[in-house]
Amino acid sequence: MAEEKNSKQRHHRSMLLDSMYPVVALMLVLVACVELCDAATVVDVYRLIQYDISGVPFGSRFSSLNHHAASLSFQHGADLSRSVLILPLRELDIAFVQDYISQKQSLGGLLILLPQTFRPGYIGGGETQDGLRVLLAQLEKLLLHSNIPFPVYFAFENEETDAMLADVKKNDALGQQATATTGGYKLVISVSEPRKIASPTITNIQGWLPGSRADGDSNQLPTIAVVASYDTFGAAPALSVGSDSNGSGVVALLEVARLFSTLYSNPKTRGRYNLLFALTSGGPYNYEGTQKWLKSLDQRMRESIDYAICLNSVGSWDNELLVHVSKPPENAYIKQIFEGFSNVAEDLGFQVSLKHKKINISNSRVAWEHEQFSRLRVTAATVSELLTPPELLESAGSLSDTRQHVNEDSIIKGVKLVAESLARHIYGHQGKDIQIFADNSSLAVNRFYVKSWLDSLSQTPRVAPFLSKNEPLIMALKKELEDYTAEVSIQQESLDGIFTFYDSTKASLNIYQVASVTFDLLLLLVLGSYLIMLFSFLVITTRGLDDLISIFRRPPSRKMKIA
Amino acid sequence: MTLFHFFNCAILTFGPHAVYYSATPLSEYDTLGTSVKAAVVYLATALVKLVCLATFLQVSETEVFDPYQEALKAMIGFIDVAGLYFALAQLTHRNISQNHKFQAVGLGWAFADSVLHRLAPLWVGARGLEFTWDYVLQGLEANANLVFTISLAALGSLMWLRKNKPKTLIPIIYTCAVIIATMPSITSYLRRVMGWHFPKVVGFELMTSLVMAFISCQLFILCQRPSL
Repeated sequence: MAEEKNSKQRHHRSMLLDSMYPVVALMLVLVACVELCDAATVVDVYRLIQYDISGVPFGSRFSSLNHHAASLSFQHGADLSRSVLILPLRELDIAFVQDYISQKQSLGGLLILLPQTFRPGYIGGGETQDGLRVLLAQLEKLLLHSNIPFPVYFAFENEETDAMLADVKKNDALGQQATATTGGYKLVISVSEPRKIASPTITNIQGWLPGSRADGDSNQLPTIAVVASYDTFGAAPALSVGSDSNGSGVVALLEVARLFSTLYSNPKTRGRYNLLFALTSGGPYNYEGTQKWLKSLDQRMRESIDYAICLNSVGSWDNELLVHVSKPPENAYIKQIFEGFSNVAEDLGFQVSLKHKKINISNSRVAWEHEQFSRLRVTAATVSELLTPPELLESAGSLSDTRQHVNEDSIIKGVKLVAESLARHIYGHQGKDIQIFADNSSLAVNRFYVKSWLDSLSQTPRVAPFLSKNEPLIMALKKELEDYTAEVSIQQESLDGIFTFYDSTKASLNIYQVASVTFDLLLLLVLGSYLIMLFSFLVITTRGLDDLISIFRRPPSRKMKIA
Repeated sequence: MTLFHFFNCAILTFGPHAVYYSATPLSEYDTLGTSVKAAVVYLATALVKLVCLATFLQVSETEVFDPYQEALKAMIGFIDVAGLYFALAQLTHRNISQNHKFQAVGLGWAFADSVLHRLAPLWVGARGLEFTWDYVLQGLEANANLVFTISLAALGSLMWLRKNKPKTLIPIIYTCAVIIATMPSITSYLRRVMGWHFPKVVGFELMTSLVMAFISCQLFILCQRPSL
């Protein structure tokens, strides 16, 4: 009976133990998995772009970061290969950065702190000094055209980064550079290594507004095209909002489309010209999108285009707007177009000038958008505030191109110029003193429309390889054109050619305040001595001093006894 | 690296308990069973307290010091005292002298308190890269708590287990016990109303614990004389 009881008890016990195993295992797993990321500070950072041109690498080639922070006050000759250098823009020395990059000195990483006024969507006073903008432009140019073997990130200054930087500077000035044994701040960005973007797409959006055909007229109506490229390129693709280049052009195109859709909605006021509005992509890359769009057009359609007006950066000019052409100014068409522009400009109170730049067919570089038209025998001109054509990958939405430096009035003047001259041409009122889109009329240029689209575009980064096929921006532009034109079509092509892009443009930076190894060892020493003291104190008070001494002394009496 | 810090804070929080056990004659008389029983009683008390707190207390949005809520919390704190009474008086222990009984019960009680309240934050927090002084301060607080609990257990054993006490000392014993029992309310009052930071509060706790230990030691010795 006792044996049965025993075996039953044992059986119960083993069952209990068996049921405990999964619980214990679960506890162990839970305990091992609790690795919370509890940084004191988390900051949004934006990575420098990484791209190849024909296989030649440019930009920052790495993305993950796990190093100590260092500032400019480091001692000369210190080894920074395991540190991240924090550079505020205000204290930047371009020559220093250039030296570092050109001499290929190893650096753990670079973190550039920009003032809050450069943040897209920054509402608030504080005009950025021009000096800072120029410095930023220089820095961007340097970084874009170098091959940098360490991660480079941009971040915006805030209280926490300011405090950290002040602390780091203080420590560096004292000569204690932050390494594993002296404590300090540790910056960690944990993202996967950047990968190539497989087939970046460029999306062209076109809107077709047909004119009215006279009865009995079977010929194809002539077409006038208004084109603007909407995508950008900059040092930090997640910050490349390009308010002026070319947000202003897109807004101007949308407003012109709205005005003409109002005119054309009434059959009595519909002109004898078709209007073709196109928002092209691939602008910074030699206007590849424009070329593909033109080639995709029906041959007859292309031949029916009388002329095309391209809009590029019309947001920050005062008195003079330039019309760039590639055909010689003596050409009859060019003369006609330019006369139309200058008449309207005279009425509106500013000046337009004509600039001629010949196309070099052997050079693959396309300086202006109208050159793509000219290469396919279509008359075109670019209306822009820029005097000289921008270099490849420049002036296409840099970090200093923010909303604050774009003036809605300039855009409105540009819209009036283009719309009036187009309308006078369409309705045959050249040279007459008529204002079709007069202020305070039902066809007035809508300032609020311009402002709201400009604000919205100035908060949307638009680098083409990073835009997905159904990007909300593209859908919004498509919907807007659908409201104003009769037929909208989207053309999606892949951006082939010499450019390759890599992903990982935005990340979160964790700033940890770490203690050095020496501190931990010191603490261990202190605690050890505290516990030993506590032990001795307790033994003395409860058992007496003799007991304490007897713990440490091996009893020699035993040996004596044996002897 | 930060596992090192976790180790440091762990030995600060739990080391003194082990040291106390091994240094005093408790280890000679093998009073581990008593301590374990006291720990189990603490667990049960904590559960009862939780249920009462959840039932009767309202959670306020802000960190405002509400006297009514604090009074309620103090009353629920007396459940602690009841639990200690149960552990000291009602449980049957092996034949160990009174001197050691309260020490063993206090030790077990304080150890359970430390483990329950401090182990989880330590494991989760001290292993991260970020360094804060919080966990070292928490360890110091655990030390103060150990001294408090042993003093409370001493006073408790005086109150409930010793029958012949000098009449003059009885009110002192009771006031000291009340002060120690309401320690949590006092610290939360200091933190919220007076705005003291954690290091200051911990310093205050350490000082008071030493003072209280000294007082209860004296009381114990005074009460021991008549029976000699």
